[in-house]
Amino acid sequence: MSVRVGSPVAGRAVALAAVPDPVFSQAMVGPGVAVEPVRSKSDVVSPLDGTVVTLHPHAFVVANGEGAAVLVHLGIDTVKRKGEGFELHVVKGEQVQAGQKIVTWDPAEVEAAGFAPICPVIALDASADALGDLAQDVDVAANDALFDWSR
Amino acid sequence: MADEKAQKILEALGGADNIVEIEPCITRLRCELNDGSVVDEKALKGLGAHGVMRSGNVVQVVVGPEADTIASDIEDLL
Repeated sequence: MSVRVGSPVAGRAVALAAVPDPVFSQAMVGPGVAVEPVRSKSDVVSPLDGTVVTLHPHAFVVANGEGAAVLVHLGIDTVKRKGEGFELHVVKGEQVQAGQKIVTWDPAEVEAAGFAPICPVIALDASADALGDLAQDVDVAANDALFDWSR
Repeated sequence: MADEKAQKILEALGGADNIVEIEPCITRLRCELNDGSVVDEKALKGLGAHGVMRSGNVVQVVVGPEADTIASDIEDLL
């Protein structure tokens, strides 16, 4: 079976290699797609149906019942923002649906504070060939498909 | 079992005395150490680390999404 992974944000889907952090650009924790977000205050949505297994203001992981876990990281090194500018709408352990609002943030504010707001969306511990139909160099709306993860 | 892994990671980082601060960030442990040169990168990779990035006495160990759990297990050992 395969899992459709949607974009958490509106923006432009690009290759992970464009992310200025080796953990993501070298796919150390898994393959995926990055989204260069539209620079305006917006909601970040869940990329799939599942449970919020990890939740930080600047990053979260949603895992489904089959063990497919997707990491969304909102900007690079944004842990240093200590949660400032991120408004959470769910709690850890909550069941969520694809497209459900998780966080509200402002990529323009993150960028103005000196951080790259690009959002890596990672299929954790997947092999690169498990991902298909990767959105690449196209504009996406929140919840548009980014890739299919066959499992 | 989990504690044992935390213990071994702690040893590979030079032991409790070498730790200034450990902060988990979803996929990695950001470790501020007294002496970054003693880190046993090979041992960390043997313990499942996907990568180790060093910048002087700040060492980032990429452990995947277990980072939060491992960091709190290590905190318990300090």
